[in-house]
Amino acid sequence: MTEHVPGWFPGGTPTNILTAVLFLGAVGIFAYVAYRLVKILLLGAPEDRFDRIGDRIKGVLVFVFGQRRVIREPSGWGHFVIFWGFLFITVGTVEGFVRGVWPGFTYRTILDPLHLGFLYLPLNLAIDLISFGVLIALCIGFYRRYVVKPLRLESDDPHAKVDATIIMCLIFVLIIFMFLERGADINIGRYEGSLAIGSPAWAPISALVAGLLGGPIASDVQLGQQMVFYSIFWWIHNLIILGFLIYIPFSKHLHLLGAIPNVFFRSFKPRGELPTMDLEDETVESYGISKIEEYTWKQLLDEFACTECGRCQENCPAFLTDKKLSPSRVIHHMKLHLKEKGRILIGGKPEDALSDEEKAALETQLIGDVVTEEEIWDCTTCAACMENCPVFIEHVPKIVDLRRYLVLTESRFPSEAQGVFRNMETNYNPWSMGYASRADWAKDLDVKTFAEAGEADILYWVGCAGSFDDRAKQISQAMVKILNAAGVNFAILGTEEMCCGDSARRMGNEYLAQTLIQGNVEVMANYKFKRILVTCPHGYNTLKNEYPQFGGSYEVVHHTEFLLELLRAGKLPLPKGLNGNGVVTYHDSCYLGRYNEIYDPPRELLAAIPGAKLAEMDRIRHKSFCCGAGGGRMWLEETVGERINEKRSESAIQSGAKTVGVACPFCLTMFEDGMKAKGEEENIRVADIAELIAADL
Amino acid sequence: MDILVCMKQVPDTETKIVINPEGTGIVTDGIKYVMNPYDEFAVEEALKIKEKMGGTVTIVSMGPQRATEAIRTALAMGADKGVHLCDDAFEGADSYSTAKALAAAIKPLSYDIILGGKQAVDHDNAQVYAALAELLDISHVSIVTQLDVAEDGKSAVAQREVEGGAREVIEVSLPAFIACQKGLNEPRYASLPGIMKAKKKPIDVIDLAKSGLSADEVGEKGAKLKIRKFFLPPEREAGKILEGEPEELATQLVKLLREEAKAI
Repeated sequence: MTEHVPGWFPGGTPTNILTAVLFLGAVGIFAYVAYRLVKILLLGAPEDRFDRIGDRIKGVLVFVFGQRRVIREPSGWGHFVIFWGFLFITVGTVEGFVRGVWPGFTYRTILDPLHLGFLYLPLNLAIDLISFGVLIALCIGFYRRYVVKPLRLESDDPHAKVDATIIMCLIFVLIIFMFLERGADINIGRYEGSLAIGSPAWAPISALVAGLLGGPIASDVQLGQQMVFYSIFWWIHNLIILGFLIYIPFSKHLHLLGAIPNVFFRSFKPRGELPTMDLEDETVESYGISKIEEYTWKQLLDEFACTECGRCQENCPAFLTDKKLSPSRVIHHMKLHLKEKGRILIGGKPEDALSDEEKAALETQLIGDVVTEEEIWDCTTCAACMENCPVFIEHVPKIVDLRRYLVLTESRFPSEAQGVFRNMETNYNPWSMGYASRADWAKDLDVKTFAEAGEADILYWVGCAGSFDDRAKQISQAMVKILNAAGVNFAILGTEEMCCGDSARRMGNEYLAQTLIQGNVEVMANYKFKRILVTCPHGYNTLKNEYPQFGGSYEVVHHTEFLLELLRAGKLPLPKGLNGNGVVTYHDSCYLGRYNEIYDPPRELLAAIPGAKLAEMDRIRHKSFCCGAGGGRMWLEETVGERINEKRSESAIQSGAKTVGVACPFCLTMFEDGMKAKGEEENIRVADIAELIAADL
Repeated sequence: MDILVCMKQVPDTETKIVINPEGTGIVTDGIKYVMNPYDEFAVEEALKIKEKMGGTVTIVSMGPQRATEAIRTALAMGADKGVHLCDDAFEGADSYSTAKALAAAIKPLSYDIILGGKQAVDHDNAQVYAALAELLDISHVSIVTQLDVAEDGKSAVAQREVEGGAREVIEVSLPAFIACQKGLNEPRYASLPGIMKAKKKPIDVIDLAKSGLSADEVGEKGAKLKIRKFFLPPEREAGKILEGEPEELATQLVKLLREEAKAI
């Protein structure tokens, strides 16, 4: 029947001309908007993300097409179905669209000459079934969004909620009309043998709809009726598609464009390595980021990639304890600001030609109007947001960049931080303790300093907590007992050791951090050692991942890894057992777990203690809940909402454990304070794993 | 306003002080030096006055070579230039000979107000500002916790702490020396651009010759005070915890208080 297509019918002339014009128009608008978005991205600073192309492509396959991070939680399967459904629907839509210009076209036109015609019916079956799956997924989505209202979908932008509703409705309606179109198509039977005619099994849902529309048909009148139906459905289906194409860049579905490149351009650097800054250049007037366009293009792409799924906020310790910060809100607000300001900046209009609105947009301050200082300082840099983001948005470095501006350029930060910075400058530790007493904890122990020994196999990096905090000194003392019992040849830097720089760096004081790091690199250059052993995950992370930026490349090992080595070599002196009922829970420190993927060694060590039974908390491993001390928060007051450490301590109490094993001195402090606040300090013991191991030494 | 700040570099407040074997001074090896904390209040106040009224802030300090670091810190906070009295002849000064040297450096300068800490936390004499004011023939107000300079820059109203937390309000004509106390303000933390700029700000070094004074008038020779001996208080002994029945404990306690502590 291809040769008898009436002019008003899709594919007939002049309807096909109208179709082509509409199509080109919509694609043209889409291309123009996309081009402007790229121009906005290019306002950003340069950054090289073009290495390891093979791994980048692999990443796209795994994380975009495989949706690996999306499906980490059950509701992600809904997205999985919608994502794949959309790919198949697009395949079907393209065919229908081409047919609207070129009557009689089906994929068989292409597949048959390639001897692949046999794929056509299975393809149609797939489109039919998966589209139906999308309808079900959407229904579950509606239910979740409007009935269940999970925490992660909470947003302060009413427009964002409307946007989500519009998109879900559009997809829903689109699929309904697609099925109607396919049903009418079956009834018309215009591509005999191609679709479901004679084999409705290959398009069962569409065949069902065909029946509902009055098929199969028996007369010319009915044929005409079905042709009218088909036309109407075809137009609605395809106008929605074209409208969607134009709507995408203006909606949360911008992530369709942003997510794939964002996954492709993801960082392959260690997560614990903050980008360094050139502080030697004396012409620089402003440090850190205070304007959105000062971010790199990749940091801007993050904004376009955000889907507002809220996995970041659902895992954010600040958000979950009623602080002002929500990582998803930060990214969303940055996106709105970037689009508004970027549009004006790429327009290049002279200042006097700008409207009042445009001027106001240009005057909107990134820090203050878009992101508040409170939000910036709420962050514990725990990276739960980054770990759980399906599209690899890098929240933490962006927040640290803002802190860098506040601290370095404006000298504006919570007042408690000033004393901490001063102490680090003068006495190389965050506590107000004289640097000369750094090695006092080791006075009565058999510990050599490098100044005395000159060389040793192991440089035991004690860290500020282990040196100055009375409670954490016990970890250092326990470690020394173990090292001596195991016959390890080690030495410490003693008073030559300075603060590692982690807190200063994450609080945005890059100048101070670099001064400390360079000082330590210089000191360590004087001595010979094979490896650095660190008991504090913050020192571990920065020594391992950040010192190479300053010419200090070392083999760094965390004490849980090192103790496991000793255990495996049969050299670890194990205790007789644990106090209490032997039930122990383990808290994953952020800088050990999420930052350096050390999840198993601490658990293996605990399991090796005779009689120990491991009981896990609700949030563990990559979803572990920060103790509240990271990112320099250890040194700042926490006055808003519930205290993070108390919330985490509650999880530990609920695990039923009588012992909380930690592997970080900050976590230790936070848990002990938390247990006191909960009145459980008599019942539950908090201890570093080294202390549990060294119990009988 | 031309604002001067007298500043001293002192050992960090966390320093563990060790007396040299001769008892003539402290062991300076390994000591970290910082700006005298009370002088920080003075620098901050000077910068605030400058921000409000315009003008320049000049840091005047006497000390060995290392005192440049403290001057640079003040310049990084926002002061404009430094005057550094640096000469071996100035070593070993007491409050009087220090004031004498400072006065010599300050006299050629133009100034509307001079600020400084209420005392330096090393020797804790709290006398330099009074002597200096006398030598310059200007008034001084000590232990100031609030300062308001009049718009015309001719006078100031200062609040000072007196016994029992009471405040005394003093109006003083300028120039005068204001000795600053904690609570006056929150000293700022130098920004990085501030630190960078400070590297290029001028520091005028004044040696003995340039000061116009003779060697007999300054340093140890010019001092009216001779320190005879330094010693530390005896180290506190660890506390005792008594154990046993209450009646028995009471007897023990009384015995110890009478015989060992000699408190009763």
